[in-house]
Amino acid sequence: MSPASLDETLVAAAQGGSADAFSRLVERHQQAVRAFLRRACGDWAQADDLAQETFLAAWSRIGRLKTGASVRAWLCGIGYNKHLTAVRSAGRERARAQAYEDARDETLDAPAEEKIALERAMAELPAEQRACVALCLAADFSHAEAAEALDMPLGTVKSHVSRGRARLLQALGVCDDAS
Amino acid sequence: MTQADDRLKALFAQDVPPPRDAAFNAAVMERVMRQRFREDLAMLSGVSVISGGALWLVWPTLQTALVTLSQGLAPALGAVALAACAAMVLNGRPSAALGLHS
Repeated sequence: MSPASLDETLVAAAQGGSADAFSRLVERHQQAVRAFLRRACGDWAQADDLAQETFLAAWSRIGRLKTGASVRAWLCGIGYNKHLTAVRSAGRERARAQAYEDARDETLDAPAEEKIALERAMAELPAEQRACVALCLAADFSHAEAAEALDMPLGTVKSHVSRGRARLLQALGVCDDAS
Repeated sequence: MTQADDRLKALFAQDVPPPRDAAFNAAVMERVMRQRFREDLAMLSGVSVISGGALWLVWPTLQTALVTLSQGLAPALGAVALAACAAMVLNGRPSAALGLHS
């Protein structure tokens, strides 16, 4: 059974009220949703909280998921809206910046300098651009899939990815061999 | 895909959570079950309140009907209750108690 048809089977069972099927969907997609939210908001703890809230909201709205729709894109879309709500809420932006610095300090192993430079550059990107970069450059989403997930026009996604990529490469001091 | 993209991807890969995370899964499902319990509780509370209100509204009529009915059915209900008691005392095996089987 292909991943997409397995998702469809699990979604159909979850829509019928099966918590076991929903649990398997969580298991299958937690990595993608958490990775996206970690990159989108920079704070790993907050990202995991948002990921939990994303799946909780998904359980309530699973009946509205259309047959054949990408579960991964749908979940990331819910997660993105949760992230935007969190960012917009009072004081969150300042807290996020502080938490971002804290998270950065916690992950100082391996090739630290490049990683820090990337995280800083990601933090400086506007939220929409960051989300597009997180999906298309880091998570192998197609532009169309990202547009569906983030509810943005395809052209806007392409433009965000292109600009975000250029800014990240500039921050890393990498020569863009595509241009 | 260019070398620059590969480099970006390798750096991004450091943020990826494990493909299986039982603790995260359990935390999500615990919250899902709590939500389901709260929804069930809210629904049952609503049904109870509505049923209580409906019973309160029809009680004057229902009470009269019940009194009339119980007077008419009292002998039959008494017999049924007696039979039920006998069945319980005989442990559900009246034929054995009466010695019809070995």
